[in-house]
Amino acid sequence: MILVPRQLQRAGMTGNVPYYGGRFTPAQAYAASHPHAQPPPAQAAVVGTRGNPGRVLPASHPPPHPPENPAGQLEALQHLRDTGVITSTEYQELCDRVGQC
Amino acid sequence: MRSGRTVLGPVQVLVLGFDQPAFTGEILAELTRLREAGVVRLIDLLLVSRVDDDTFETLAAPPGMPADLGQLTVALLRGPETTSPDDDSDLAKVMETAAWSLGESVPVGSTAAVALIEHIWAAPLRGAIQRAGGVPLDETWLAQQDLELLEELERPEH
Repeated sequence: MILVPRQLQRAGMTGNVPYYGGRFTPAQAYAASHPHAQPPPAQAAVVGTRGNPGRVLPASHPPPHPPENPAGQLEALQHLRDTGVITSTEYQELCDRVGQC
Repeated sequence: MRSGRTVLGPVQVLVLGFDQPAFTGEILAELTRLREAGVVRLIDLLLVSRVDDDTFETLAAPPGMPADLGQLTVALLRGPETTSPDDDSDLAKVMETAAWSLGESVPVGSTAAVALIEHIWAAPLRGAIQRAGGVPLDETWLAQQDLELLEELERPEH
């Protein structure tokens, strides 16, 4: 029998995990829009050894939204749109946020 | 194998390549043991040979296995006979999310076994996660080098 396979939706063990398909993950998007900021707050770090619960180090918090160079941000957004990372709709939404469109 | 029972746990599609298929029964024996232990259940198994870029040829079941082995997998994996506008819409939806097809996994000219494996053990855990409001953000397996690192980190003297 000849089988022509179809596309299936990929899922994880616990459900459908987000898929970014070559696009930015949330962390990458944050890093791209905050080039001089600290990494985004992720999970807290746990320091300890087996048998010793250790201590939890608080996650670092970046400074809130530095609107540094709107023209530069606009240029970066145009690049992301032109290279297919974001859609035109997303570009427009982000442009509105930057306030340069 | 095809018991007709309700699928409760997450189902894994495991694709294994074989240069020279030599099924001694060892894999099925282990799967049988895991089934009896309530860990996993082999729902179906399909052997295929990649013919060209678009198609596979299904192969006969190994000796001693049910004659209808693989039919469930074929029905699940095969593309639609015809495409309607709704199908296009569904396909677009799949493509926007995580998409996968057998053609991405098996090189042309090679033989593969496609197993549908229900992880029975995971059903209660998945339910507990959902009841706790947990949302899957990511899921992957550690690579060998990180497994070795983990093993080292787990040693008592560490």
